[in-house]
Amino acid sequence: MIIMGPVEWLFDFWQFLEFYSDSVINATVRHLTLSFGAILAGIFVAVPLGILIANRAKLARVFLSITSIVQTIPTLAFLALVLPLLGVGVLPALVVLFLYSLLPILRNTYTGIRNIDAAYLEAGLGMGMNSRQLLFMVKLPLALPVIIAGIRLSTVYIISWATLSALIGAGGLGDLILTGIQTYDLNFILAGTIPTAVLALLAGSLINRLELSLTPRGLRTQG
Amino acid sequence: MVKFSHVTRKYGNTVAVKDLNLKIAGNEFVVLIGPSGCGKTTTLKMVNRLINPTSGTIEVMGKNIQDLNPVTLRREIGYVIQQVGLFPNMTIAENIGVVPHLLGWDKNKSRKRAAALLTMVGMDPETYMDRYPTELSGGQQQRIGVLRALAADPPLILMDEPFGALDPITRETLQDEFKRLQTELHKTIIFVTHDIDEALKLADRIVIMRAGEVVQDATPEELLRHPADDFVAAFLGKDRLSNQELQVAQVMLENPVKAYPEMGMAEGLALMKRKKVDTVLITDHGGRFLGSVSVDEVNAKHRSFNTLGEIVDQDTPAIEKTAAAKDAFNRINEEKLPYLPVIDEKGLLVGIVTRNNMVNALASVVWGDHNGSS
Repeated sequence: MIIMGPVEWLFDFWQFLEFYSDSVINATVRHLTLSFGAILAGIFVAVPLGILIANRAKLARVFLSITSIVQTIPTLAFLALVLPLLGVGVLPALVVLFLYSLLPILRNTYTGIRNIDAAYLEAGLGMGMNSRQLLFMVKLPLALPVIIAGIRLSTVYIISWATLSALIGAGGLGDLILTGIQTYDLNFILAGTIPTAVLALLAGSLINRLELSLTPRGLRTQG
Repeated sequence: MVKFSHVTRKYGNTVAVKDLNLKIAGNEFVVLIGPSGCGKTTTLKMVNRLINPTSGTIEVMGKNIQDLNPVTLRREIGYVIQQVGLFPNMTIAENIGVVPHLLGWDKNKSRKRAAALLTMVGMDPETYMDRYPTELSGGQQQRIGVLRALAADPPLILMDEPFGALDPITRETLQDEFKRLQTELHKTIIFVTHDIDEALKLADRIVIMRAGEVVQDATPEELLRHPADDFVAAFLGKDRLSNQELQVAQVMLENPVKAYPEMGMAEGLALMKRKKVDTVLITDHGGRFLGSVSVDEVNAKHRSFNTLGEIVDQDTPAIEKTAAAKDAFNRINEEKLPYLPVIDEKGLLVGIVTRNNMVNALASVVWGDHNGSS
């Protein structure tokens, strides 16, 4: 390797990015598709499931332990385990990332609803809300900040873990990192790493803003 | 309006309510009272089916509620709880409009109703409609809690210790306000409390319960005159605040600093200095109250006048010793008086109520010491 000063190096890296801009952009788009596909699927499954188990202690224990166990499987091993079942490509990567996204969203939905002050539920019931009205007028709005916090947590680490899906041929920014490792080219590694980190940060702050705009003024003052 | 027939509610082997028979007429204000675990709250919650009876029947407006859809039933019955339970994600107008919304009113009508109700309790709709519950004080929040129950104008309202979590002064204000509202609205109200004074103040009829059974069912007057047994008597006595019968005579200070009208200016000044007061009360030789002289008056006029009698303020307000202590307190507060002389029925000066001993008397009521004056 040639030793360069930081200015030369930056210039060199810039030229690299210009040359490979299509690859970086394609990889980023693929990375986003993978991550958000997994997160969206995670939300659609985990939020309703969390609502469902909020009133059922036994079911809650079962689902929360299953998702916790999933969380403990090393990502690398999980991808390898899925390989014989689903082969290579986007689908197995999506499935694995989806399963990883479940726990924080599920747990936060569950706790968010469980922790609602019983007085609100009694007031709602006592005024004649049916269970659907109670859910949409009281439970979900009050649990929303907690649910969104779970979604943010999932999103940030799914974006980061999605780099590993390159190992089973799903593409994404992980592809660039792998290439860099194989060719000892720092430029490739950074071209994969920097956008991943930026994406994770951006997604996190975007969801923070979303949370703030979705939280009614009356709840914000409580801190 | 509401009729319990042989209603029993058990939790496992514990009987919360035992063979309850109770009839509540339209426009009646009934208070259920008793120690913790006496079954009063269970009784209340069986009316809107938040709790279902183990056996027996409950009729509301002539219908057996077991045959009704609980959701429909609850929309026709107002409900106020101790923890208030205003939804923090909704504005005040939206909170008041919950039941109208459930009943399918349009938004305009519901907002108008909320505005009218707010006006009724002296809260400016413009100011409060679009605020959130956390932006209101505890007393204001419970006012909204009550308005929310009134929103769809239900004939029957259930209240579960609605003022129990408020500080004593706010509680009293809301009780007065609610009593006034009730005289205008003529609702049927079932009200649970453990505060006997609240019960005596508000109720047309008090139902005292113990261990799931009714011990006595009577008007406040009857209850006070003829408590059914020692339990009721103890209950009335033990938790009773004395401020209701407390008279001025019990809280006043005797021997106020007084002087005869012919006392000279300098002598009056010396007297005030010696007694460390800024005012002396003037009586004639028979003890009749004539008025007061303040130290400022003496200082301002000692050159032109000779005796206290010449500068006495004859318009000094006074109160009779048999008046309620509360009235004295109210006058001191509202008219911003530093003190209030106390006279007997013949107009003789017998004492004085000052801001200071008013605070002492209030404190003794709040902290349960019934001695009144310090």
